[in-house]
Amino acid sequence: MPVISVLPSAVADQIAAGEVVERPASVVKELVENSLDAGAKSVEITVQEGGRALIRISDDGAGMDADDAVLSLARHGTSKIRTSADLTGVRTFGFRGEALPAICSVSRMEIETALHDGSGTRLEAAGGAPPTVTPTQRRRGTTVTVTDLFYNSPARAKFLRGSRSEWRAISEIVMTLALTRRDIRFELLHDGRRSLTAPPASSLRVRLGALWGVQYADGLLDVDDVAGPIHVSGLVERPANVGTATRRVFLSVNGRSIRDAGIVRGAEAAYRSTIPAGTRPALYLEVAVPADSVDVNVHPAKAEIRFQDRWTVERAVERAVRRALGTFDSSAAMGRSFFGGITAPNAHVQVIESEILAPQAEDTPLFHAASSSADAADVKDYETVARDIAGNASTREDDNIPPLTQLRRTYIMFEHEDGVVLIDQHSAHERVLYEEFMRAIETGSADSQRLLLPFTLTLSAAELEAFDLNREYFDKLGFEIEPFGGNALIVHAVPLPHPRFDAERCLRDTLASLTGDRTPSAHGRHERLVATIACKAAVKGGDLLSGAEMRALFVALRDTNLPAHDVHGRSTIVQLAWSEVDRRFGRS
Amino acid sequence: MRFTISREKLQEGLNAVSASIPTKTTLPVLANILVETTDRGIRLSGTDLDIAVSTEVAADVEASGAVTIPAKKLSELARELPPAPVKIAALGEQRITLECGRSKFKLLGLPRDEFPTFPVVRFNESWRIKSGDLQKLIGATVFAVSTEESRPILNGVLWELRPEQMRMVATNGHRLAKMETPIVASSAPASDLIVPPKALEQVRRLFPAEEELEVARGENHIGFRSPLTAVYTRLIEGPYPNYDQVIPRDNDKYAIADKNALISALKRMSVIASDQTHRIRMAFNSGMLKFSVTTPDLGEAQDELPIRYDGDQLEIGFNASYLLEILRFMPTDEIKLTFKAPERAATIEPEGWTDPATYMCLVMPLRLMD
Repeated sequence: MPVISVLPSAVADQIAAGEVVERPASVVKELVENSLDAGAKSVEITVQEGGRALIRISDDGAGMDADDAVLSLARHGTSKIRTSADLTGVRTFGFRGEALPAICSVSRMEIETALHDGSGTRLEAAGGAPPTVTPTQRRRGTTVTVTDLFYNSPARAKFLRGSRSEWRAISEIVMTLALTRRDIRFELLHDGRRSLTAPPASSLRVRLGALWGVQYADGLLDVDDVAGPIHVSGLVERPANVGTATRRVFLSVNGRSIRDAGIVRGAEAAYRSTIPAGTRPALYLEVAVPADSVDVNVHPAKAEIRFQDRWTVERAVERAVRRALGTFDSSAAMGRSFFGGITAPNAHVQVIESEILAPQAEDTPLFHAASSSADAADVKDYETVARDIAGNASTREDDNIPPLTQLRRTYIMFEHEDGVVLIDQHSAHERVLYEEFMRAIETGSADSQRLLLPFTLTLSAAELEAFDLNREYFDKLGFEIEPFGGNALIVHAVPLPHPRFDAERCLRDTLASLTGDRTPSAHGRHERLVATIACKAAVKGGDLLSGAEMRALFVALRDTNLPAHDVHGRSTIVQLAWSEVDRRFGRS
Repeated sequence: MRFTISREKLQEGLNAVSASIPTKTTLPVLANILVETTDRGIRLSGTDLDIAVSTEVAADVEASGAVTIPAKKLSELARELPPAPVKIAALGEQRITLECGRSKFKLLGLPRDEFPTFPVVRFNESWRIKSGDLQKLIGATVFAVSTEESRPILNGVLWELRPEQMRMVATNGHRLAKMETPIVASSAPASDLIVPPKALEQVRRLFPAEEELEVARGENHIGFRSPLTAVYTRLIEGPYPNYDQVIPRDNDKYAIADKNALISALKRMSVIASDQTHRIRMAFNSGMLKFSVTTPDLGEAQDELPIRYDGDQLEIGFNASYLLEILRFMPTDEIKLTFKAPERAATIEPEGWTDPATYMCLVMPLRLMD
């Protein structure tokens, strides 16, 4: 009895389907790409119940004759390449000949296609079985209808998320395709409602305007630069606007939309020093490289590609973006000085309110002496300081605060019996807010200020999903947020953790960084949400703090449970021991 | 340039202008005052590039000209000078001599052409407004302006000029102040201006209440002018949020309270309220307002205040500091509060105010958790 047998092709197709057809969105992607490869000028996408019930892609492309149509459902039946040599430099979206058979193997599929207006072919197949072919009448082009996706693979069906979240994935995919192929008319309908109409656009800016609003598109900067054989073009966000709207990233290489951390890194490197650390710009970049210098056959869904010379590409992107940012156009539109002809230099000296570091009088020192070992490290993470802060909070008066000085608008420095202590203001505030918010969630006692002028947030589908997942916690934290139609939310009330709190920005940043969060347990999820909100709501490095603010932060940090560490596990407090300072000055 | 001026006149001019001189600046000439001779005397001008102030004072001019003089030093000198006529002369573009009695000073100024030119505002199409009316509106609204940088538009006061009336509105998104008053009909077109509060404070300070001001709009700034003094400021670019739509029209519960008694009670409650949100709870019952505060880790407080109220029972939470701030600006001894529901905007108005102006403040509640 042989143990090993060759799988029947229907099973092989189902296995392939596992790679290509992950969820309804991947079906949409594969089918729309087929339409584009067939030279369609207009693609209409109809989806029902997030694609679980029905996906229909209708185009005006080349169409197929009856024989080709049957072949198209055969594994590795493709019109796009003929030999392995064609793989290098392939320019069509698809080429593997996998998508149609794979989709067909896990759904009921109907294909109507015609080479010319008039007589055409109609195929019906289910679960990868051979199709029944009948003649039909239709206009030129192809319509593929996929119903009951995964009806025969319950394991996969189980992993599908709710209709809404599958729908969001689809709409993201279609948006990406619409950016890639701007010459094509896209229409997207979900459950009978028209969700997107994008007429052919002459430029990326026009297409972005159709998708996310003309105002947003007009606020972006043009990138256009050629370095050797590499051409980088597109639109990027003005540094001053970074963080004010949803961050979106769209990359395409040779007209193929991809994900590539390296290119994003290159583009972000160009922003260095123009935007606060931790904020990330929206990028819409198109890179053209010689076709033979990339390998697109790396990823089954072709979401990633391999560059022959990645370093050069990343540098070219960085250079292009930097050039765009270097233009006068990129400076923030502030409209500040109204006197013509006078340009004040940008740098300006700010005198920081500080207090003289006087030696502490006879008061008991705030921090008890740590065991001063001779081999003290230059700078040590000062756990003991932290414990003392916490331990002594209740027994000390709040006015027993050492003189505090802000350094580099980032650190708060003060003198302590054992040495010089530095507090990272952002990390410290993050810790304070984290514990405050956690308490609010546990007791449900968050204060919440109603807003006179409620604001709306327009979010990406993924961000909206992140909101849905965390909705009850937002409510407990004091946010009053309701859906506002489409991808928008309206915010009626917000908590007030500190006077500088910018609720709008905090919410945007929080939702943006929660996208793709799949933490399963509710417990873990609320901790993660609170950590994210605390991080986004906290004062940042670079914020100038007044003396009173520094003192308030000092006291608040002292009263937390874990003052020495922020929510990411970094240190909030660092100390330079006197013994070390003395040694350096040769005083020991 | 050479002129003689009395010490008092010099001080008067410097006092008017010096508040517009920035204390910290990267453009050295902004720390200086521009001194120009005119037909009637001298004109002093200062600016921080956002606001510009210029005023004319009487002086005997012997030779015309213009120069800029360090503002801080000139003000300090003017304060310490003996009571005698002050002679000021410029030698060339930068060197200035100042003589007063037996005291002599030499100062180094900067050439006048380094001083920024003032914005172009044509006064041929202008509003004529009584300074006192303007002062009243500014005083009643400017406190409500937002100081947060996240929404720059709310950092300004909306000033609506209409043919027969004018109105100022300010809000930080949590509370709002609005006052309007009739004005003498003007031929200038209706206009909505968003004015930085700092400039309005200058206007309030510089012009005597009985003076009639000309107000005119340039491309993106606005000028205020009396025969001797002028203030120019940059405008904040709009549009201002549609505040009218958030002002409640259907508040059906009314309470009349004694302002000072209410202030005292709120101040007592504030001691125990949270430092962050100053949240207090107010329960309106027939004839009685009950306050309560509970702050974890701190304590509790209760208080009562007899009021005139006959609506349904209502419990509502507020930031006590917002209420206290608004009450401070209420011009009458009794005030009227109106409500609809615990999550809806409440209004505070003066009760029995006989002024031709109308005044209203609005405050959004805090959510009460039970």
